Amino acid sequence: MSALPPEAYAAALAGLPAMTVHRLGALLRHHQPELAWQVALGSAAPQGLMRKVMADPATRAAIVRQANAASPEQTWRRCEALGSEVLVSGSARYPSLLAADPLPPPVLFALGSLDLLEGRRVAIVGTRNATAAGREAARSLGEGLAHAGVHVLSGLARGIDGCAHRGVLSAGGAGRPLGVVASGLDVVYPREHRDLWRSVADGGLLLSEVPPGVTPQPFRFPLRNRIVAALAEVVVVVESRERGGSLLTANEALDRNVPVMAVPGNPTNRAAAGSNALLRDGAAPVLDAGDVLVALQLDHRWANASAATERRRPPSRDERVVYDIVRHEPRTLEGVALAAGLELVDVAVRLGRLEIAGWVSQADGWFEVVGSPAP
Amino acid sequence: MLAAIRSATLFGVEGRPVTVEVHVATGLPSFQIVGLPDEACRESRDRVRAAVLSSGLVWPASRVTVNLAPSSQRKGGSGLDLAIAIGLLAASQQVHPDSVDGLGFLGEVGLDGSLRGVAGVAPMVAALGSGVRPVVPSASAREAQGVAGDAVRVAGTLRQLVDALNAEAPWPEPPDNDLVDDIVPLPDLADVSGQAAARTALEVAAAGGHHLLLVGPPGSGKTMLAQRLPGLLPPLDAAIALEATMVHSAAGVRLPPGGLVRVPPFRAPHHSSSMVSLVGGGGTTLRPGEISLAHGGVLFLDELGEFAPVVLDGMRQPLEEGVIRLARARASASMPARFLLVAATNPCPCGGGPPGNCECDEAARLRYLRRLSGPLLDRFDLRVPVHRPDVDDLLASGGGESTALVAARVAAARQRSMDRIGMLTAHIPPAQMDALAPLDPDARALLRAELEADRLTGRGYHRVRRVARTLADLRGDELVGEANVAMALQLRVRLRVTSRGFAA
Repeated sequence: MSALPPEAYAAALAGLPAMTVHRLGALLRHHQPELAWQVALGSAAPQGLMRKVMADPATRAAIVRQANAASPEQTWRRCEALGSEVLVSGSARYPSLLAADPLPPPVLFALGSLDLLEGRRVAIVGTRNATAAGREAARSLGEGLAHAGVHVLSGLARGIDGCAHRGVLSAGGAGRPLGVVASGLDVVYPREHRDLWRSVADGGLLLSEVPPGVTPQPFRFPLRNRIVAALAEVVVVVESRERGGSLLTANEALDRNVPVMAVPGNPTNRAAAGSNALLRDGAAPVLDAGDVLVALQLDHRWANASAATERRRPPSRDERVVYDIVRHEPRTLEGVALAAGLELVDVAVRLGRLEIAGWVSQADGWFEVVGSPAP
Repeated sequence: MLAAIRSATLFGVEGRPVTVEVHVATGLPSFQIVGLPDEACRESRDRVRAAVLSSGLVWPASRVTVNLAPSSQRKGGSGLDLAIAIGLLAASQQVHPDSVDGLGFLGEVGLDGSLRGVAGVAPMVAALGSGVRPVVPSASAREAQGVAGDAVRVAGTLRQLVDALNAEAPWPEPPDNDLVDDIVPLPDLADVSGQAAARTALEVAAAGGHHLLLVGPPGSGKTMLAQRLPGLLPPLDAAIALEATMVHSAAGVRLPPGGLVRVPPFRAPHHSSSMVSLVGGGGTTLRPGEISLAHGGVLFLDELGEFAPVVLDGMRQPLEEGVIRLARARASASMPARFLLVAATNPCPCGGGPPGNCECDEAARLRYLRRLSGPLLDRFDLRVPVHRPDVDDLLASGGGESTALVAARVAAARQRSMDRIGMLTAHIPPAQMDALAPLDPDARALLRAELEADRLTGRGYHRVRRVARTLADLRGDELVGEANVAMALQLRVRLRVTSRGFAA
């Protein structure tokens, strides 16, 4: 037991369900990790704030019970097997960005290169249930920022988060993906992001506040958002619902004086209600990666890089007629036919070609545009 | 004294001939029915006795034994009442024994001596055979005439029947058919405004025999559309009409005035329906289910996801074979069930709408769609998005084409397809697709692009090709062109999730 490094005890403490961020912070502030573990086991007297916490019999019983069921040795072996680094607040490797935070994660688990936190960092967040237009915006922002060498932070959730990181990875630029997750680093959630999870850990940095093996729980997602906000220089909200989790990230960012920007959405698009409200409240609008680069005071000549490398075939004149109708708002097949005064079949052919070329996307029978071709 | 009376019982949708033997002998007065009668059949003793007495006839104070032959086969229902009553009267010499020769008796008797119709008269009359003149209650006259024509004799009461048999009165006239007017006009397609894509889908479904899934929010008109599909189908041909008539008769569903089901039926069972009510079975006689009642027509399942999964899975075999085979410990029956399946569902729990409108997260959507079992979902060639028509749509298009116009195109396309390949396009086997539904190069390129983009699955590919073939038949095109394929792709909304989004 004595061969274990102090980080092992800190890691085990971070895995106790009863150990909130505040409690863990207090515990590690007043005790060395090994002693802190003894306190949690109930075999050493608590100091400082922890005295108050442990004075409550119910809390004390819960912590002692959970600590007795846990094993620092096992937690440590899992971290080693995974190759995850354990950073305890106050240690030399602990990111300075977080050390200055009002609510820093007391223990941090990292997979990948921590040096990336020295680079420029922009968070791209948004709804899990995004429109095709929103997903495309996230992807192209991620791509544009990665080309400009800016790292992109996100939560690896479904929808906008995942699209932003896929954009970063497809760009192959100097900018890398940085992911902050709410579960243990070996508990992939959502499961369909298994490949993305791997690529972010390999090509970027994956951070978590909880040790391997901890499953995602609803209360952990808002906590994860605060770390995203704390690490970002700018937070860009792509599409957020009226009470979406990404608005929590935006609020955390505002609390930390991190500028919040938002991609404008159609007023009738309920998936963009939250991000549009941010714009009304004074968030700066983002139309492309260049706007974000300007906010970072970076040379934004890179901004048009993605437009310059446009690989999509421009729409033909016939297709353009249909494209222009769909551009303003999502339409159904009949809706387009009616607006264009064309036969259903002609519209179907043109929309089919536009979809293959990648200018239009269809879901549930609704067509919307993704990206805009040169006029 | 002994009398043997011809009658029939119903099993599944078939009639089976039964001989009712009645033996009246000296002994302690009693009444026994043997030969595997079910509960309703055994109760006929009390009905027959009351009816005989109410009709001013004599109940013999003797030992009466009734045997239902063949006695190894279970008999159910009250349709043997009349035969038992007549057998008793013949055996006790109240009806001249020779007068029942060459006659078959079907029907239930009331306590007052009146005769009541029973379900399944049509197949039972058919089971009597051509050498036998059926005698049925007036209420069942129409059904019996549909099978046996003018040979049918009717009677309103037991007394009337006895008088006719004893030649004391003429046979009662069958009720006049013309007075019965229950032809319900089919709803017309012209009532539907807008919904151009869904209309096309109905036309394609009718022309190619493709099963159709309507996907859309509540209130978008899915039911309204489905109800208009039978009107687009051609009238049933003679063989199918007869099968459908037998099924309807066996289930006790009122038959049309002509006695023959010629208009494609439309059945819309509620989603709480049980397995037995849908596929058939139950009781000793194995009643036909909704899928058999829809034979030759349309089975409409609204809120497909709300049906119990086991019920939906029970429909897969009949969907494939056009017949349902039910086997029970004591008996088995097969019933026709070749129908066009039309189902409706919401795209997600909240009902969906324009992009961004849906509040459901992806997991909830997936859970919802997973309720529609994959194998069943694969049976639908057409999966059409239906939207709430917006104001422009309602104002701009007024009424659409009428059922008559579209039905004419459908009939022409069906003919073309039968002439060309000898079957409806929905039944083209995948192996013969290239031979029977060749593509032009542009169409091939479009399909290739869809497959490569992972927006189309392997199964979806064949379904789209069949639908494209039907579209080509509707337009009179020889080859399947890009326009047909593009339209077919629009008639197949993506419901299956792949790594890159939803695929068709």
